[in-house]
Amino acid sequence: MTSYIVRRLLWGVVLLVLVSALTFLLFRVLPTGEPARLRAGRFASPKVIAEIRNDLGLNKPLIVQFWLYMKGIFLHLNLGYSYYSSASVRSLIADRLPATLSLTIGAAVIWLGAGITVGVISAVRRRSKLDRASMGWALALISAPEYWLGLIVLYLFAADIGKLKVFPGAGSYVGLTSDPWGWFTSLILPWLVLAATNAAIYARLIRGSMIEVMGEDYIRTARAKGLSERRVVLRHGLRSAINPVMTILGLDIGVLLGGAILVETVFDIPGIGRLNYDAITHSDFPIVQGTVLLAALFIIVANIVVDIAYAYLDPRVRFS
Amino acid sequence: MSAGAEPLLQVEDLRVEFPTEDGVVHALDGVSYQVDRGATLGIVGESGSGKTVSSLTTMGLTRSQGARIGGRIMFEGRDLLTLSEQEMRAVRGNQIAMIFQDPLSSLHPLFKIGDQLAEAVLAHRKTPKAQARRRAVELLELVGIPEPQQRAQAYPHEFSGGMRQRAMIAMALANEPTLLIADEPTTALDVTVQAQILSLMARLQSELGMAVVIITHDLGVVAEMADDIAVMYAGRIVETASAKLVLSAPQHPYTWGLLSSMPSLEARRDRQLVPIPGAPPSLIHRPSGCHFHPRCPYAQPDHARIDPRLEDVPREPAHRVACLLPAEQRRGIWSQLKLGLAPTEANELAAAQHASATRQEAGE
Amino acid sequence: MSAMMRRTAPARRRGFALALALGLSACGSSGSSTSPSPSSESISASGIQTPATEALSGGRRGGTLTVLNHEDFEHLDPGEAYFSVDYEASYATQRPLFSYEPNSVTPIPDMASGPAVISSDGKTITVHIRHGVHFSPPVNREVTSADVAYAIERGANPNVANPYFEAYFTSLEGSAKARGGPFPGITTPDSDTIVFHLTKPNAQIVLDALALPLSAPVPEAFAKKYDAKSPTEYGNYLVATGPYMFKSNGEGKVLGIGYQPGKSATLVRNPNWRSSTDFRPAYLDEIDIKIGGDTNVIGRQVLEGSELVQNDAVAKSSVQLAYEHFRSQLQISPGAGDHYIAVNNKRGPFANVNVRKAFWAALDRVAMGKARGGSLVTDVMTHFLFPEIPGFEAAGGLAGPKVDYDEHPEGDPAIAEKYMRMAGYPSGKYTGAQTLEVVGSTGDPSSEVAEIANNTLHSLGFKTKLSLVDTSVMYSKYCGVPAEQIDVCPNVGWGADFADGQAVLDPAFNGRNILPTGNNNWGQVDDPTINAAMDKAELIIGTQARANAWAAIDRELVADAAAIPSDWDKEAAIESKDVAGVGDLWNTGTWDYSFSSLK
Repeated sequence: MTSYIVRRLLWGVVLLVLVSALTFLLFRVLPTGEPARLRAGRFASPKVIAEIRNDLGLNKPLIVQFWLYMKGIFLHLNLGYSYYSSASVRSLIADRLPATLSLTIGAAVIWLGAGITVGVISAVRRRSKLDRASMGWALALISAPEYWLGLIVLYLFAADIGKLKVFPGAGSYVGLTSDPWGWFTSLILPWLVLAATNAAIYARLIRGSMIEVMGEDYIRTARAKGLSERRVVLRHGLRSAINPVMTILGLDIGVLLGGAILVETVFDIPGIGRLNYDAITHSDFPIVQGTVLLAALFIIVANIVVDIAYAYLDPRVRFS
Repeated sequence: MSAGAEPLLQVEDLRVEFPTEDGVVHALDGVSYQVDRGATLGIVGESGSGKTVSSLTTMGLTRSQGARIGGRIMFEGRDLLTLSEQEMRAVRGNQIAMIFQDPLSSLHPLFKIGDQLAEAVLAHRKTPKAQARRRAVELLELVGIPEPQQRAQAYPHEFSGGMRQRAMIAMALANEPTLLIADEPTTALDVTVQAQILSLMARLQSELGMAVVIITHDLGVVAEMADDIAVMYAGRIVETASAKLVLSAPQHPYTWGLLSSMPSLEARRDRQLVPIPGAPPSLIHRPSGCHFHPRCPYAQPDHARIDPRLEDVPREPAHRVACLLPAEQRRGIWSQLKLGLAPTEANELAAAQHASATRQEAGE
Repeated sequence: MSAMMRRTAPARRRGFALALALGLSACGSSGSSTSPSPSSESISASGIQTPATEALSGGRRGGTLTVLNHEDFEHLDPGEAYFSVDYEASYATQRPLFSYEPNSVTPIPDMASGPAVISSDGKTITVHIRHGVHFSPPVNREVTSADVAYAIERGANPNVANPYFEAYFTSLEGSAKARGGPFPGITTPDSDTIVFHLTKPNAQIVLDALALPLSAPVPEAFAKKYDAKSPTEYGNYLVATGPYMFKSNGEGKVLGIGYQPGKSATLVRNPNWRSSTDFRPAYLDEIDIKIGGDTNVIGRQVLEGSELVQNDAVAKSSVQLAYEHFRSQLQISPGAGDHYIAVNNKRGPFANVNVRKAFWAALDRVAMGKARGGSLVTDVMTHFLFPEIPGFEAAGGLAGPKVDYDEHPEGDPAIAEKYMRMAGYPSGKYTGAQTLEVVGSTGDPSSEVAEIANNTLHSLGFKTKLSLVDTSVMYSKYCGVPAEQIDVCPNVGWGADFADGQAVLDPAFNGRNILPTGNNNWGQVDDPTINAAMDKAELIIGTQARANAWAAIDRELVADAAAIPSDWDKEAAIESKDVAGVGDLWNTGTWDYSFSSLK
């Protein structure tokens, strides 16, 4: 088992190096990626651009630039500086990460809870009115565009512009440490929107998985042992049904940690997603590079965690 | 059947139907049998004969599928069919236990063996967990699993087939049931392991004084263990008697077919195995009249119209059969079959004998 | 995302400055020529406020104004700022030599103690520095001319890379070799005098440019270490001279304290500011700027909320909502810039003036304006100077010059046909073999506008290849690169740095401004007569004379159909009901923090 983990970690590092190399190439080689011109500003003279090229070391051979770039990232965790504010990318990312973490984890808890509940009930009461109704709602939520849902939710429930002034509206996010209650209430609407689509997807997934599992022989054995139906469904059924879902959950969280752009924009939450989006529209490439690497890191880590978790969740996998 | 004390389990006129999209499945059509304390009943039949359904219904495991159930199942003085789900749960895994065909798929793959056994104990007894786990280890030892302490920490896929079945048996015995139902317990196992499991079951039975219902399609299995045998076909019992009688002097063409299609160490080497022609009938659209008539080599035209009942065989106590052929004719055919004749020849011979016998009675 | 468009009105990037009143002592004519243009009059008639007619005071002293901006600042450093969102902060915290009152495009002395003096040969400008103006903490001391000199000199420093230094200050002696250090073009004979020495007599333009943030004083001793970094970090450690400053710590650090990039900014009162030295009232105690969010949501929050304004591009739906339900909270400001279609004057079918006139006649300018939000925020463009620019009326005003191809803003196929025939296509439609390369920009409403233009080309018989790309790519890779030989650029536009015809017409239509890359003369307009007229007009001093000269050039450009006009932009701004907002006419109506107050 340990050798398995070690192997996966090493492979993860290799992947990160590859992604760094790719982003480096993209931002040096592509025609629109001219760091010097972007840094200089849209109206700079060729003279100024030449000076900046020198300063940025862009006249050195590509290999040397690459080596310096990789050294900077892996040895010093130096991700460069924003073209506009001259703030270090690392500090900008560190500043935005808590909001994205709050958003992602909270939403994951909600969608998992809702998805499991609805999925299990639907599976157990298959083809009942409740099942049909909840699967119908699930389909509607999956189809609803996230941005639109966010706007609707604000126009209905936001304290400042909503019809029913229930929850704080857009722009009310505060950090957990500065105001725990404010942090919590400001995230309720964003959590619901972010969780809505995923809850629907997970409900359908779990329903399908449960239906399959409940037809297995060991469920019959569990009943034959005289266990309560509740125990059979939850401890024997759900425990098996949840495995494939867990791996998907890990990947979903990994991706979301790279930033939930739409929700962050509608609700004005200063997270990684918005940082990335603003940087792209401003062509602030060092930030884009940093967020791309971060997103890659999260996905790679999520993959590893999921693999390890699966071995933990399913003993049959351990010996392969 | 042995006389004496009241039977432990008495199934009376059990009917089970499942409505499906294709029609109503008549799984059991008025089945009656009984099992005495400490005795072994073998239920024999092909798949689709209803042999498993009767046991599942006894356990109350067919209730949720929308089944229509009629008749009575008397167990220790109570009709199980009238019990509430909660009351049934107290019986399942407690007084009546069941083991199934494929122990790999029948054990939960994600829980340790020891935990699954302990769970069986804790479902019916308020004992501390540690004690339940100790009992689990005891049970593993009881069924002959070496190093039971370590083995209790293993997962089902780490066991061999035979050991898994032993573990299932151990789990069934957790609460010292008075009745154990074994549904094809050896079918998924190697031949050598089969014998081990059967002898284990026999030993446990005598040690614990349990009654056993063993369900199988393999007459060889019941030959070892059963006191009585019930042969089922198309949802009905077509023949029932003591094991000795069924195996030596069967009275139903289906049973003859089962015996003839069995390889036997004692028969002549060049004796042909004679399979029963045709396939088991659909339980939705059953053949008219005698359900077996389409596959019966001895069927007469009117057998397609008349439905035989389970009746006592004349001059053989505790032997009942559901067949329209005259008993003498049947005996005749069987004596020919025993010698190795093919069914057609045996039939002609027997018909001839029968005809001469009736002429004798009628005329001279 | 129209606010991100380069050189277009919604970017609201330039200030307007009518510098003329200052240079008049040399020439004798006097008087400002600002008057509310007809466009602003017509708007105020329908109950919407406009900066030209707003009261400059009205609320109470004190309180905090919260600003909801969808866009982030680009640069806080006054030497780098070149964006209308940046400008609002710059002019509240920095005092350039000349600056503006909100309802005027005539600059008045700010850091300067009085009007500038231009020598008779037009090659020397002398400005005196006001006394008693102090830097904010931690510098604290009084401002001297050396601080103004350093501020302008650092514009040539590649680490600062001021965007307009090349455009307006190259006539300063020695500026070509300047790298951030002193050069002969700027001298400070004493601590309150600064003198500019020019190589050619275009003093007017240099004076206009002294109202841009570059001339706001920067303390060299404090800033030098930051300017040595590449890029400069002075923007993270700003010192202020205006009534407000970015919140900072004891060492003057702003980044992370008064400015969280992409999140928020906080302006607080500058403790060293003296109201007796300034024309600004500075009612507010604090301005909290929150950055990000969806513009539709922001619009509602501002209109329905309290003590809020939005200070960048307002969503179309919010403008509509304000107009219908919150009219007293809406402000529309004219002269925010224009949009037009650049066509290739050098090669291809549009090298023929009659083909250009045909396109002008055929285009439905009303539809183009509708795509941008209709008559609330656009006027049909009929010539090339905008409203508020001196010379606008002389060049034809809103109605435009009387030429037949301009007569029908909805498009006139008959006249278009006429000009096509005059161009040598007897059928009235193009019959040549060339497929036109048309490059527009993505997004709303640019793509819709590009489609309208594209369809008009089809109606003239052209086959086209339309590509829509990101705005910055459109400029930097296609329309701004003559070698790419793009035929039609339907999504270009212009704002002006100050209210002078030269700032509008010269970069876009002077043949000598055609550059191989970063070209702003997108149509490659290169008429020798017009070029000569522009070069001559550059050197004129005196508002009226300049206005007349540039109006004449405008008429020439119309006669030449140098480009195809689309619309003049007006910019909307919104405030909550309890805010007495004052908009800056010279900065496309953005709310002025030094004049706005709470009710």
